[in-house]
Amino acid sequence: MAKTAAQLLMERETRVRHGPVDLDRFGGRLEPGHSHLEADSFLLHTPEGLRYFYSKGEGITICRDTAADASEENLWLNGSVYSAIACINGLVPIHASAVVHGGEVFAFTGPSGSGKSTLIAALGQLGLPMFCDDTLVLDLGEPDIVICLPGHKRLKLTPEALELTGARAEEKVGTDVDKYYAQAPAGDVMTPLPLAELTFLEVGTHLAMERLPGTERFLRTQDDHYTAHLFAVSRQFDRAAQFEHRSRLAQQIAMFRFARPWDRACFAETVAMAARHIAAAEERR
Amino acid sequence: MSAIRKLAGNFTEADIDDEIILMRLDNGELLSLTETAAAVWRLIDGRRDRSALATALGGDFDGDEQIIASDLGELLARLREAGLIAEG
Repeated sequence: MAKTAAQLLMERETRVRHGPVDLDRFGGRLEPGHSHLEADSFLLHTPEGLRYFYSKGEGITICRDTAADASEENLWLNGSVYSAIACINGLVPIHASAVVHGGEVFAFTGPSGSGKSTLIAALGQLGLPMFCDDTLVLDLGEPDIVICLPGHKRLKLTPEALELTGARAEEKVGTDVDKYYAQAPAGDVMTPLPLAELTFLEVGTHLAMERLPGTERFLRTQDDHYTAHLFAVSRQFDRAAQFEHRSRLAQQIAMFRFARPWDRACFAETVAMAARHIAAAEERR
Repeated sequence: MSAIRKLAGNFTEADIDDEIILMRLDNGELLSLTETAAAVWRLIDGRRDRSALATALGGDFDGDEQIIASDLGELLARLREAGLIAEG
């Protein structure tokens, strides 16, 4: 199947080369653990000493100090750098992991450690192919539909998540990161697909899946854990433009809140409920 | 009585499901209107006055006329204070 314009754009813009990166490019020196985003460029200096510079039309330059952990390079590249590049090019990144059912994408979002990857791995054991892990990129190029671009295809799971889901560990994600790469149990999907639903993972006293009403959906468009701000800055939105953007997301994306006890004993029930919810999507329309 | 009109330059709005979200452009403050409040907002057309709004609302919602008029008054006061509508 032919790639979409947005896919080709991201492929072109995420070309990588290694070379010097000037940390003084935007005035004062960019300290470790900080980033700087402009309308057409992005500079990142990681706590580990990795430096990334992206300029629209020119791809990514990476500079690694000798002391920096090489295994960390792809983590930042596929996370913060990929998200910034998507924003600069008019695509909307969300901190989410997703599976596919019925030709549509079902995404789960939440802060780091909220169980996104673990749930995706477990749903894979039930036969649902993975669409992405950790970063979901939305293409709003068509006015009436939200299209998801296929993302990075390797799950990153903690030892506990591997045990819970039965996924097979591959190499360690990073020297200082207690996570392992794992293949998606039911395979993955490489085709852009429409977004069916976005579900917010939360901790609760009992299992509950609740549809979010209009105003709450609007408010939650700011609650996607770091990327909403990136998008607004990169698009140089004024207040009205940001409102219009958030309204569109709230109008076009069905959103749910999935509360579940943070308890291993409830994990199988949690996964079963998520699977039933996805399977019943058609009935909810 | 005077007609009530929206001050279109002061806000932007969006319909999301049955709700209306308004944002003041001067400070970004959000206002969510649901059910009756959303119906009132939709009825404000620059021609209706308070009485006409109350009459139109009475046709759409069951309730005591005095309560409707009172709730309407509170909502209009809130919208006026936010700079979203003007009377006259």
